[in-house]
Amino acid sequence: MALSDWDINEDYDMDTRKVKILMVKAGLEGHWAGLIVVSNALRDAGFEVIYGGNMTPAEIAAAALQEDVDVVGMSSLTANYMLTIPAIIKGLKERGKGDVLLILGGIIYEDDFDALKEMGVAGIFIPGTPLDEIVNFVRDKTSASVK
Amino acid sequence: MQTEQLYTASGMPVKDIYTPEDIQDLDYDKDLGIAGKPPFTRGPYPSMYRGQVWTIRRLSGFNTPEESNKLYREEYAMGQTGFSVAPDITTAVGVDADDPIVENEIGHSGLPLNTIEDVEVAFEGLPIDRVSTYLAERGPITAMYFAMAEKRGIDLQQIRGTTAGCMLSWACLNIPRQPTPKGYLRYGVDFIEWCSEVAPKWNPISHDSYNPRDLGLNAYEELGLLFASAIDFVEEGKRRGRVPLDRFVRRFSFNTAAHNDFFEEIAKLRAARRIWYKIVTDRYGVKDPNCAKFRVHVQSSGSTHTAQEPYNNLVRIAYQTLAAVLGGAQSIHANGYDEAVCLPSDQSMLLAIRTEQIAALETNVTNTIDPLGGSYYLESLTNELEERTWDYIKMIEDMGGMAQAMQDGWYHRLLREKPIERQKKIDSGEIPVVGMNIFRSEKEPYKVPIFKPDPAGSQKIQTDKLKKFREKRDKAKHAEAMKRLVDACNSDKNVYPYTFEAVKAGATFGEVMKAQLDAYGEWPYPIGI
Repeated sequence: MALSDWDINEDYDMDTRKVKILMVKAGLEGHWAGLIVVSNALRDAGFEVIYGGNMTPAEIAAAALQEDVDVVGMSSLTANYMLTIPAIIKGLKERGKGDVLLILGGIIYEDDFDALKEMGVAGIFIPGTPLDEIVNFVRDKTSASVK
Repeated sequence: MQTEQLYTASGMPVKDIYTPEDIQDLDYDKDLGIAGKPPFTRGPYPSMYRGQVWTIRRLSGFNTPEESNKLYREEYAMGQTGFSVAPDITTAVGVDADDPIVENEIGHSGLPLNTIEDVEVAFEGLPIDRVSTYLAERGPITAMYFAMAEKRGIDLQQIRGTTAGCMLSWACLNIPRQPTPKGYLRYGVDFIEWCSEVAPKWNPISHDSYNPRDLGLNAYEELGLLFASAIDFVEEGKRRGRVPLDRFVRRFSFNTAAHNDFFEEIAKLRAARRIWYKIVTDRYGVKDPNCAKFRVHVQSSGSTHTAQEPYNNLVRIAYQTLAAVLGGAQSIHANGYDEAVCLPSDQSMLLAIRTEQIAALETNVTNTIDPLGGSYYLESLTNELEERTWDYIKMIEDMGGMAQAMQDGWYHRLLREKPIERQKKIDSGEIPVVGMNIFRSEKEPYKVPIFKPDPAGSQKIQTDKLKKFREKRDKAKHAEAMKRLVDACNSDKNVYPYTFEAVKAGATFGEVMKAQLDAYGEWPYPIGI
């Protein structure tokens, strides 16, 4: 699956570098509207957003390393996140990117929240979450690590 | 009286009150007429729901063909009157369960149908000789379905049902391994031609605007896309000239959403019938008015659901269902109220069927045909929607038609913008959503039962079955049939006689789709930010 829409920052500079976010759907799911809407809101808020679209967990981990992202945002509406999230986290850790902030949105069952947080998911956002809430969450969590 | 200017959901201005003046140009015989007579504005059939109530048809399926078969039996026992099969996402992509790109998605939001045996299992014991089936796929699974029906002794000349086949909805999925829009059109038209011979009562395509509507397009944009796409198919059929046009368009069917703006949605279906009649009759000169009937399946809009206070969705679904009924739909899918929370639970499935049955049997709205016909407001809306739809169709035709507009990226740019636009309107409160951006509870007041599918288990079951299936099929016969199919895909021949032959010889769904895709090449999906 090609990453044809990568938003490459041409004025890359370590001192002024923006927080970089990879936005994905793990696997073959077709419900992309939520991912686009959140990606757009994060970009409007000043983050550097890479829209990965549909990628396998291994591809997500590899892209996170290659692009040196600070955040991975994943959307799931088909209940496969209990399989894909552990695979993504494993892949990130194997590549030394275990510190990436992982956020998850979509149709996520409340009784999975605790298990997901235990695995290392930092934020979970269900449908109806105001976009500001997601933007502020990412801003708060990344302000310490990146300028 | 002068109050604040109000608009429909699609942005059409609405007056304080409507009077005969607003419909003074309406010519009853020319613009409305009675149901079953051109231009069919009031309904495609003379008796409408007095003769036969709409078909209750929930798109469903999950985990495996085995478990989905149980589900279909349950739905039938609850009083569902049509079957409707939702293949899972791997099947939408066009691959088998054992394809390397499949990792964690078998049996999500649908069931996998990889082989003729899967289709046999999914329909075991279901009365498909009496009840029609909708297959949300593009052709190859229907070929398997026909082969299964033949084995059961059902005459294909009599078999009834519908294949989705519309490029509008598929392209919305934005998934890999999709053919170019022109490739879609080629195989879609092949399928229509083939069905007109082997299964003339089958609807070989359901022109479908549900997905784009649910992504944020408005009512006349929805109709504009729908008809621009249907016109592309007619043009291609006409260009080829293999099947007389009246036979080619006779079994076209349609699928729209029912959204929140109650009267606008009713007007939409009425306008759609008049527009389709004019396209078929005036534009293409088809004489038989039966070919110009806009027959439509309507589904309530999933995008209007909220995860907050999910029972509120029940009320939204009921209003949307009522709009579809008053608009004169032939088939309706009322959604599950919990679809923003989980895949539909047994309880929500039952409620969806009951919602339709209550509308059909308790409200008496079915007693007379097009009960709102003649309303000054509704007729004005119908006229206005028709006019705006013609403009939208023209805009797409000026881009070279729907397939060309897709190929050029226009469609996906639109699909990308619309959800963002809508979300901004929701965040700003311009679109009120009760319980979400207005009257939101501090804390969720209740929980609803949750249903979870089993993707890991389903993948193992499907993969094991596929392995056995591939081992036991007649390898020489299969190879020969596949070679003939591949040759057909690479020629101008209609691919479906060869597809039919191949699936009977043990070709899997993924193998057939690959043959199609290889001939046209993959179309890299153009959605990005």
